[in-house]
Amino acid sequence: MTSNEHSLVKTESEGRSFTITLNNPAMRNALSTAMFDDLEDAIERATTSAQRDETTVVIFRGMGKAFCSGFDLAECVNDQTMLEQFVRRLGAICSALRTMPAIVIAQVEGPALAGGCAIIAACDIVLASDSASFGYPVHRIGISPAVSLPTLMATVGFGGARQLALSGEIIDAQRAKALGLVHLVACDESALEVQVSTLVKALLLKGPQALRATKLWLNQIDGTSREGFLGSRVDNAIDATAELCAGNEALSMIKDFWNKRKGGS
Amino acid sequence: MEDLVQLSIAQGCATITLRRPDARNALDFPIIQALADAIARTAKRIKENSNEIRVVVLAGEGKSFCAGMDLKAVMHDPIQMGQMLRQLSMTLLALRQLPVPTIARVQGAAIGGGCGLIVVCDFAVTHPEAKLGYPEVDLGVCPAVVAPWLIKKIGAGPARAMLLCGGTMKGDEGFTRGLVTHCSPIDQLDATVATLVARLVTGGPHALACTKKMLNDLDGSNDERIAIEAAELSAKVIAGAEAQAHLSRHFSAHSRSNSER
Repeated sequence: MTSNEHSLVKTESEGRSFTITLNNPAMRNALSTAMFDDLEDAIERATTSAQRDETTVVIFRGMGKAFCSGFDLAECVNDQTMLEQFVRRLGAICSALRTMPAIVIAQVEGPALAGGCAIIAACDIVLASDSASFGYPVHRIGISPAVSLPTLMATVGFGGARQLALSGEIIDAQRAKALGLVHLVACDESALEVQVSTLVKALLLKGPQALRATKLWLNQIDGTSREGFLGSRVDNAIDATAELCAGNEALSMIKDFWNKRKGGS
Repeated sequence: MEDLVQLSIAQGCATITLRRPDARNALDFPIIQALADAIARTAKRIKENSNEIRVVVLAGEGKSFCAGMDLKAVMHDPIQMGQMLRQLSMTLLALRQLPVPTIARVQGAAIGGGCGLIVVCDFAVTHPEAKLGYPEVDLGVCPAVVAPWLIKKIGAGPARAMLLCGGTMKGDEGFTRGLVTHCSPIDQLDATVATLVARLVTGGPHALACTKKMLNDLDGSNDERIAIEAAELSAKVIAGAEAQAHLSRHFSAHSRSNSER
């Protein structure tokens, strides 16, 4: 079963695994309105399939040289309400991935930055190639990675999350592994492909009920369950960020950043 | 008090410097008070003008960042000791709650309470030969005040092992174990701090304040009750016979080795 070829997100379901592929390599899989539309649709279908007990493992990947470079700022630079909408939609996606009753594996090649890193931090297991990089370089455009913090802090611990979120530093795959964001680093893309399919096969041999129960129990313990704190924490983060998005700081910083980038390229 | 801790502001960066180099910046009551005062003044200035101070660097003058609590003078005075611990605990809380990123610049030693100062900061930069750690239990003392901050820094499991085993470690091991966020050769310490400062001052101040508040909310950094309880527990243990015996032995051994030199 393959989705519409024109979609920015491809989905493919094979047996009990469901693959979501960001498919806009020319734009480094940036999160635009159209990308959000298609991604939300894909995640909803994966979730429904998992709830029907037809899917146990979801693989999340990006086509091309970058996993995902974050928000498409072209849409935000002249319309600040768009930025707030993007933050809301990203928060909802992080919650959906974390609470989905299936094991979500991120397969990361190239940069996974800002919103792209938020997606990674919401997944259960992250496998990366040596080319992968991670980080939240967002304060320089006047916004906060707050919506990612509830899942990031649960995944890498408070100390690593503080360093990564405040510094805006972009880290390589080995450093991400040391921080606990990445589970395994493969030497190149084909090795990564092999590692992911090995992991998927291994997971599919296990009891799907046990896997699902384990994931949801881990969410309860680390405060990222749907019934627990995740919803309210992400909502708080969205409210706090929405104020920033509407402020002059973000407006002028995004404009400056955008003009410099356009001037530079 | 002004002399013991200096606050200087330049190009968006406030530097708070401990200045008791002859005592390796050991924390006695006056220097803790002076530090609390410098942090309060910094917080006030940020509140008045969010553009003036975008990052805070905590430093120590001389060969060592901070040798820890200065227990020798007060070890037989449980009341004063309790006051010192309470003041330190509230000072760490205030440092954590500064709405800008904080960086500890760590040369030489950061031991016990001194190592507490660095794990409360958002970033800590040191060099491979530095001496870091929590030898409190070696002295019969309970590192209760630093424990909540260490757990938030390196995780509950590693913090448990580190505090229960006591002892100290070198800077490079501190980096591997997550006590510090950056480790560079000592002659590049200032350059590493400057690079980090330069990166942080480019961030939107409201955006950074929002992120820091969210981090503090989520990791329980605003829990004043724990900070108070920690100080009471530590004060109680230190006033006990076991700690008193350990400390007496420690300080007499120290003065012997000093006089032998």
